Amino acid sequence: MAARAEPPPAAFERRVLRSAARHHYLRVRLELPDGGARPNAAQFKQLVVSALRELHGEVGAALPVDVLTYEEKTLSAILRVISSGLVKLWSALTLLGFYQNRRCAFRVLQTSPFLLALSGNSRELVLD
Amino acid sequence: MVRFKNRYVLCEVLSDDPRCRQCIEDRAVGLAVRDAIGRVHGDYGLACCSISFTVKYLNAYTGTVLLRCRKDSYRLLCSALPFVRYLESRAQRYPCALNTLHVGGTIRTCQKFLIQYNRRQLLMLLQNCTNEEERQCIRKSLLSCSLTEEQSQSGDEEDDDGTETD
Repeated sequence: MAARAEPPPAAFERRVLRSAARHHYLRVRLELPDGGARPNAAQFKQLVVSALRELHGEVGAALPVDVLTYEEKTLSAILRVISSGLVKLWSALTLLGFYQNRRCAFRVLQTSPFLLALSGNSRELVLD
Repeated sequence: MVRFKNRYVLCEVLSDDPRCRQCIEDRAVGLAVRDAIGRVHGDYGLACCSISFTVKYLNAYTGTVLLRCRKDSYRLLCSALPFVRYLESRAQRYPCALNTLHVGGTIRTCQKFLIQYNRRQLLMLLQNCTNEEERQCIRKSLLSCSLTEEQSQSGDEEDDDGTETD
């Protein structure tokens, strides 16, 4: 009896990606302890790009960074950056010291590869 | 076992201006390269590349420059070399370009490459010669390249014969 050809074994494929997300999102707040005029959205983006240019040069300034939301009252914003540029952006924001000759500081409140994760912040959770 | 590894970048200075040759000195080239790295890669890149950065060898006649840097930052250095637009020395500024020829791990490999490269360049020069006296000149200096033991060495293999290579 001729042996019947067996069907090919089912192909099992498993893909493991270390960091699949293309973008990282940061919620940041700019602190201006000396008061004064607050930057608007365009000036805020200019500030971020100039911080990158100081620390990482033209290559850093060319990093695709987007300001997704900006609130002028609280000076807080959500930034989006390509995942390979997260370290450069975060280090540039950390080392930025002056805005128009006034002291300033960036505080990074939340960061995540998913935008949805920035909607809730367990640090501000109030338990009653 | 664990040691600091360096990368040696061999480049040549190309310029339209013949007066640029007098400007090729180690301090001028070093400052120009550092300035280009600072512009392209910022403070972080400048500090990274400056750790073990020197101009190891310079030949003004052929425009050959050998730069050294750490192995971790040689990519920053190589990517900033096309942004060197001029050399400045003694308040004179001449436009120029740096062409990367070879990246090696030791000075010896760069020297071996340079010897072969110069040999090929001399042959190409001989082919592109337009008049006979240039040809004779090149032939004479090729034949006279030799290391003599008694007096001072009359020309190493790796140095060019001194004629302007444009």
